[in-house]
Amino acid sequence: MPSLTLDDEILNLQSQINTLKSQLQIQTSNLLGSPSTEQLITSSTTPAAQKQNLLSRSASQHAHNQQCLYRACAGLTAFRARDPDPNAVDNGAILGLRVEIASRAKFLRPYYVLFNRPFPGSNALRVHRHTIPPSIALVGLANRYLPFPKGEGGGKQDLARFARALRREVVRYHHRLGVVADLRKAAGLGKKRGNGGEEEEEGVEREGKLASITAADAEAKQITIEWADGRAGRLVMGDDGEVVKVVAVGDNGRDRDVVRELLGGATRVEDVAKRLVSARGD
Amino acid sequence: MSRISVPTTGRLPSSLRVDPSNPAVSKILNRLSRASLLSIAVDWLDENNQSLASPYLHHSESEYDSEDEDDFNPPARSLSALQELYADLQSRKGSKREVIDRITEGDWRHGLSLYQLAMADLQYLYDHPLSQRWTAYRIAPLKPPNPDAEDDSPPVEDKQSLVIPRFHPSTFLNALQSQVPPDVKAHYSFDRHRILPLLILRIFILDSPYNTSLGLRSSAAATTFDTSRTVYIAFPDASPHVFISKPQSLSTSAASTAGGESKSLRTLIVEGVPKALSRPRQRVTLKATGLVTRNFNELLDRRGSQRTNFAGGGWSIYANEKVKESPLDTTLPTPPLSEEDGDVGEAKRRKRVLSVIERKEERERKRARLVAKARFGESGRVDDGKGLERVDIVVEDPFPDIGGTVEDGEAGDAGETWKPYVRFTLHGSHVFAGIRQLVEHGIIDGERMPGWLTGDEGVSVGAVSCGRIRGYKGSGV
Repeated sequence: MPSLTLDDEILNLQSQINTLKSQLQIQTSNLLGSPSTEQLITSSTTPAAQKQNLLSRSASQHAHNQQCLYRACAGLTAFRARDPDPNAVDNGAILGLRVEIASRAKFLRPYYVLFNRPFPGSNALRVHRHTIPPSIALVGLANRYLPFPKGEGGGKQDLARFARALRREVVRYHHRLGVVADLRKAAGLGKKRGNGGEEEEEGVEREGKLASITAADAEAKQITIEWADGRAGRLVMGDDGEVVKVVAVGDNGRDRDVVRELLGGATRVEDVAKRLVSARGD
Repeated sequence: MSRISVPTTGRLPSSLRVDPSNPAVSKILNRLSRASLLSIAVDWLDENNQSLASPYLHHSESEYDSEDEDDFNPPARSLSALQELYADLQSRKGSKREVIDRITEGDWRHGLSLYQLAMADLQYLYDHPLSQRWTAYRIAPLKPPNPDAEDDSPPVEDKQSLVIPRFHPSTFLNALQSQVPPDVKAHYSFDRHRILPLLILRIFILDSPYNTSLGLRSSAAATTFDTSRTVYIAFPDASPHVFISKPQSLSTSAASTAGGESKSLRTLIVEGVPKALSRPRQRVTLKATGLVTRNFNELLDRRGSQRTNFAGGGWSIYANEKVKESPLDTTLPTPPLSEEDGDVGEAKRRKRVLSVIERKEERERKRARLVAKARFGESGRVDDGKGLERVDIVVEDPFPDIGGTVEDGEAGDAGETWKPYVRFTLHGSHVFAGIRQLVEHGIIDGERMPGWLTGDEGVSVGAVSCGRIRGYKGSGV
């Protein structure tokens, strides 16, 4: 069919165009960011207007590079933003906090907390908007470290401690999610979709003795484990991934043997995952 | 079936059968479409459901025993024959009436179990996702009561708590059952939403002290079923919120008295749910969040487990997961809309032949679109399926000075100010998408529009003071 092949060709060419465009962007930013280009621009004999344009682009590229460097290395960065609401407090000045999250050798979309200063005569901050998932007790943290100023000198705020505590909670949460995913992988189960969401349809054939491993609560601190022979259990994970408690229940009440088999002296959930991998390897 | 009915505090068993002649049964079944009816009937015939939804089968051994000549819907001989029959009905066309007759007078003439009715009701909910109005509540932890305090002061919300409430369906159900008064019987059924990350609990409440079929069939059956009600509670995954639907009466005759009763039933549930969610030394309460809507997508967007809960309107650019923002990518971010315009060289060429006025219009249109993007971000699109259908706003600000520009609320504190009582309601299939469209077409000035018109607060009921909705000086958390 000629029309089909033509459509295919168009699609093909379009994808090529897109690849080339992104290539061009990457090369442009690489060129603009390198110090030798800056020298070339200043020493060249191009018209002044063009030169100015190039220099300003180069400057903004340098600024962006620096921002990226800070973001990649620090993990916690602050920025300024504006509230678009014409009735916003403090003329719409917003302090943003960016929490960088890396998982499986990739940077995820960062989490943001945006503060404003609604209290007259005080520089005290208040969380205005944020993108922290509800599995992290942001309200509790904010009330601990950023209390509202009550009258004269009441409630001292500590943004640095708040930011540290928040980042710690966020990173812990992602590590716990990662450990649950590791456990599933180690047990040869299908990939889990989303955080705390429902699991994907699993393949019919399972290799191991375990039938299902899922996070049972919002914080991913409790893991439900189901064995293929109908036994069910629960593993309680501490804040930092240590095994707090494991209980398994079979047909005849509590089953301690299967727990011993699962743990084998492991004190951390990662060790349980390692054990599962080696058990499958045998 | 037990011969005597003793008042108990137990719940209604799922296997309890309701007589098919009961008006409630036909009402529930009649609401469904033919395709949905057949699909749930096939589900009932599934091997796993036989304990709760077994059909009426022909049991007699001999072939020529008691064939009733007048029976239009003769009972099938076996389950597999019936499964085939329904599969056949699914493949060909026919009337809905035929299927309902087949179910009520043929295969389930001995009654439909409460489990079956619950399935049919939930099927209706999936077919018509906008059929219920949901109110979103937040589960807030309470401070443990002080043992030294003598007075019975109500417990206060623990604002510093770092505990995220956990939810376990069967424990919750047991605890909820103990909250239900003994003269009311309820049937509970949990179901997982097919697409959305939700667990839906259907509560069917019957005003009867008996939990046997006598409670459904007594001489006063008509009245007991009349006062029965259905309430849904939806639990979003990994989110400390609960959505409770408005109770619905099954009968129309009770509509006059339903107002007060359903209100008290609702308060009963709103009071019972936090008690059922609480655990020893860890009490919780429900806090209204000012969001009432029929749309599940909107509820999950603003009260769900994702990043979008406190980043609505223009702030949604921070929550948009599709944007890749890796610090390892050093390409400069491009300003919005530049891609669309720079893309087509032809458009540029065409622009050159436009007259001055047309060019000005073009610029204004682009500017309005940019402003709309700045104010609404990724939210408020007509096709995003997250529409609020009703927003109620009360304006508590003093009337702005005429002559000057729109004044900030604080400017009006000089003595007497005229504060009219202004209350308005926005109606539509997607209220904030409509406002966005008005901004995009330049009818509303997007730059001077107050922030609450973008829906960034995520409430459907709210009061505006100082130009901002809810909360003291900007929302906060």
